[in-house]
Amino acid sequence: MNTTFWKYLRHHGQPFIGLLLILILGTVLSPHATDGTIVFLSPGNLTDVLLQQSEIGIIALAMTFVIIGAGIDLSVGSVLALSACVSALFMMVWNPHGPLVVQVGLAIGAALAGGALIGALNGLVITRIHLQPFVMTLATMIGVRGFTKWLTGNVNVDLAFGANPSGRFAELFSSKPFAISLWIGLAIIAHLILTRTVYGRYLRAIGENERAAAYTGLPVAGVRLAAYVGCGALAALAGLIHAARSHQGNPNDGVGYELDAIAAVVIGGTALAGGRGSIIGTVTGTLVLGLLTNVLRLHMVDSNLELMIKAVIIIAAVWLQRRSTGVHGDL
Amino acid sequence: MLECRNLHKHYGGVIALKGVSWSLRPGEVHALCGENGAGKSTLAKILCGITAASDGEVILDGKPVKWSGPHEARQAGLGIILQELDLFAHLSIAENLALGNDRLEGSAWISPAVLHEKVRPLLQDVGLDLDPSLPLGQLSVSQWQLVAIARVLGLNAKVVFMDEPTSALTNDAVERLFGLIRRLKERGVAIVYVSHKMDEIFRICDRVSVMRDGEMIKTTACAETTIDEVIQQMVGRAVAATRREKISVTEKKLFEAREISTRKLGHVSFKLAPGEILGVAGLVGSGRSEIGRALFGLSPIIEGLMTIEGHAYLPRNPHDAVRHGIALVPEDRQREGLISGMSIGQNTTLASLSTYSRGGWIDREGESAAAAKVLASCRTKFAAQELPVRSLSGGNQQKVLIGKWLLTQPRICFFDDPTRGIDIGAKDDIYRLVSDLAGKGLGVIWVSSELPELLANAHRILVLHEGLCLGILDAATATQEDIMRLATGHRL
Amino acid sequence: MISRKWFGALPALLCLAVAGCTSQPSPYKYTVVFSQCNNSEPYRAAQNNAMKKLWSEQPDVHLVVMDAQQDSVRQIAQIETAIRMKPQLLIVAPNERAPLTEVMKQAVEASIPVICMERDIVEPNYTSWIRVDNRAIGRMIGQFVVEALTKKYGEPRGNIVEIAGLKGVEAETNRKLGAHDIWDTYPKIKVVTESVANWSQSLAKDRMTEILSAVPQIDVVFGRSDPMAIGAYLAARERGRENEMIFVGIDGLSGPSGGISQVKEGLLAATCVYPLCVDKAVEIGSQILRDPGFKPDKIYTISSRLITPESAANSP
Repeated sequence: MNTTFWKYLRHHGQPFIGLLLILILGTVLSPHATDGTIVFLSPGNLTDVLLQQSEIGIIALAMTFVIIGAGIDLSVGSVLALSACVSALFMMVWNPHGPLVVQVGLAIGAALAGGALIGALNGLVITRIHLQPFVMTLATMIGVRGFTKWLTGNVNVDLAFGANPSGRFAELFSSKPFAISLWIGLAIIAHLILTRTVYGRYLRAIGENERAAAYTGLPVAGVRLAAYVGCGALAALAGLIHAARSHQGNPNDGVGYELDAIAAVVIGGTALAGGRGSIIGTVTGTLVLGLLTNVLRLHMVDSNLELMIKAVIIIAAVWLQRRSTGVHGDL
Repeated sequence: MLECRNLHKHYGGVIALKGVSWSLRPGEVHALCGENGAGKSTLAKILCGITAASDGEVILDGKPVKWSGPHEARQAGLGIILQELDLFAHLSIAENLALGNDRLEGSAWISPAVLHEKVRPLLQDVGLDLDPSLPLGQLSVSQWQLVAIARVLGLNAKVVFMDEPTSALTNDAVERLFGLIRRLKERGVAIVYVSHKMDEIFRICDRVSVMRDGEMIKTTACAETTIDEVIQQMVGRAVAATRREKISVTEKKLFEAREISTRKLGHVSFKLAPGEILGVAGLVGSGRSEIGRALFGLSPIIEGLMTIEGHAYLPRNPHDAVRHGIALVPEDRQREGLISGMSIGQNTTLASLSTYSRGGWIDREGESAAAAKVLASCRTKFAAQELPVRSLSGGNQQKVLIGKWLLTQPRICFFDDPTRGIDIGAKDDIYRLVSDLAGKGLGVIWVSSELPELLANAHRILVLHEGLCLGILDAATATQEDIMRLATGHRL
Repeated sequence: MISRKWFGALPALLCLAVAGCTSQPSPYKYTVVFSQCNNSEPYRAAQNNAMKKLWSEQPDVHLVVMDAQQDSVRQIAQIETAIRMKPQLLIVAPNERAPLTEVMKQAVEASIPVICMERDIVEPNYTSWIRVDNRAIGRMIGQFVVEALTKKYGEPRGNIVEIAGLKGVEAETNRKLGAHDIWDTYPKIKVVTESVANWSQSLAKDRMTEILSAVPQIDVVFGRSDPMAIGAYLAARERGRENEMIFVGIDGLSGPSGGISQVKEGLLAATCVYPLCVDKAVEIGSQILRDPGFKPDKIYTISSRLITPESAANSP
């Protein structure tokens, strides 16, 4: 048991090193609150980070699948905005009749279905017409953003407060226990799918060598399509948390989220070339980014510096992984 | 002139070379041979600066050298033609030849016209009569190989390494290559010829060095040894003669192709009985792989009909073909067969995963038990199923691929040159496996470049030339000469 | 192998260096966090400068300015982190009403005094709100436009183009309502078109270029902020139509590129000073810090003034 643990840590421990470093660093450097406690380690602060990262965290889970399948999905930021706006419109403007639960349920269902539909569109064009994933999802990123702006007239749709459908919805989705356990729960499911199911095995095989996978008779198109559908749906789910947290549907939100999600995935050791990667790594990568920002904010460091330090972290993380997995620059 | 002393190399835990000492004389053609995984390619790569040795030294013209990379070695006059061709499909022939060649690249500005004039003699040297502005992607594999050779010639190298240069060449191209090697030799260029084709080695090499398991076994002059002796040194044991008893074929029909045409095949018809091994012979590009692609749903059938046990069969994609009980062991193990990052066990069970899963969840114990059983029945040598499949030698990788298909319990197996580039011991195992399969009543279609292998193992041999079937010969009575005549387009 | 270990520590060291610069033992008695919604507009930059200048006159106060880069979710996260720091005072210039409501409630619940500046939020989750009456500002500009049109035609009539800011923001809504309070009483004054430019000068220029092609006769362009009015002016000048109409805006910042000097130069016919609110915030803030008995009002309203070429001559 003990030896397998260490063996596991040696194999999969790479992203944890960064996480551990940042945790230690955060603790050491953390300012003390006026009552003398270490601010960084207070449960309130750590759960703040989890909540703040839950949107990117959920998108990154799905992005891991897409990237392991040797794809990329740039449309997630736009899908997030669409989902936030569609759910807000449902509850505030279109007002379907029925009890509160039905209204909220319809809004959630419509948002998730919309996300899955865009994922399906991405997946179908990529697998059937063989457009490059980068190009196709770049197009949907632009198109969905436009659609969302058109749908809302480029006006933010504010949610209401109190005991009405939108107020209840916002309360639920922005509550720490709900959002965080949603993320962690999905992470566990994603991990199991990737490591224990036929689907996960197929996805990795296709991502690493699509040609060999096809020659083995695997349902290549179906497996890749499913990854994009999942990615659209999870981006929409993140959009619901986003709407609840920002208490509105804003058609201009979520710009650049795709890059944050990709960064989290890459820091977690998933290869952009496909085939190799893990959910544990992605969750760690998301946390590293979140904790880093938190440490800097606790120190009131200029928010523009955050970006520069993020850049260094991405390069360092990927470089470290290449060293440890023995992928060298030579032939 | 070039020498190495006590070279060691290990990749992670895998030891590739253990204390190799070896030397090369000016103007000689020196064969390096050994089974796959013996360390030939690794030695050549270290000498040319492509990889660094873990320990030991390389000496050039009496001085110890330490290459910082292949470029430096190239400057010093060492050129290598790799087994995996390091050329660029999107660039033209001339641009490929000029890459990394300071003499051809000249200044920062390259005028295409001037460059084409400069490379033309190089192309003539290797017998390629092509427009230098053609993109490499439009050339055949054999022509690629010749461009790779021309590139090294352009460097005015003192030493040229050729790693399996003939594996993708047609017969007349091989002859041209040999002529070229003789001319280089006259110019005083030393050639290291990495191969395990004995007849080639004994035709053109002066000395032969045999490697086995990362060690240098022996260097002898070719005139003083025999093919059998070298083979014995390579495998470390005597090899049994390869002729085996034929199996009698029943009259039942398992598969039939009636006048099928694809983009590369014209009106090919043949029948396959249960338990029959149908050999397919033909030159590279004759359409012999295309039969498998058509059977496996990879190439659309334009005309004609296929039937399995009397039922019409028209696969839409490989997934469909697998469900109909077709298995295909592809020609290109690395690109079409293996998922190299996955483990040995995972590669073995990839095609039959649903058998050991319930509701999409993999039963890991069932999976590894099935893999262990089939790998053992294929005589695959491996330390643990969890190791990456790329850690295996070529022969064992091929056995993994065969094992993968055995687990799907196919009715028809298509083997596309399964013994290409694998060592003699593993070849023997594969011959035995295939005849076992046929013995169980499966239909086997076997493409091969080695005619003796087909004659020894197949019941009948279908010969293709430029996409047309020129005849189906009875292996019991046919000769190599008959097959070659058909394969080169002469009807009997 | 050694180099790898060291490289692994590199990002850590970098954080250390950056954080280290700001983590010396604090000589300050009070920490004040100013959560600014967006640094990149001139009005916001002027607020930041005034804020820094005024607090620096009190050496025992450590001021931290956080820039949310016009992103409500980022501002929420920044305020959440700021709450953990337990500052003695939190000043928030909210990016948007609804998104910031919840997190400012958290701050109040953590018993941190909160001053909400300029824009309001949905529920009164603040100690004090320093507001500007945007509707009054709108009326002021509306009245100026009526007088200018009367001077031009002898009666109050003409075509008006409106360049709107971000919809749903209080300033946008009330500035529009204020102006329309006045115009609606004159049937011959018509708003021919309204275009949304999200407070951005370059967007305003693009929108105005389109409007110029579509609308043959324009008398007044009302930009809901000075940069948008200037954007419209630039578009009109490209078409050579800048003398056909007048441009009015709101903000009236001082300084070389501020609205006041643009009125002096004759680009804008008028602007209305939108007060920075910073003086009042610092005044009330330091009273909260230093006087435990101080009971601030819930709402302070800052008055505005109109800048015309005549009054601009007297302004700094």
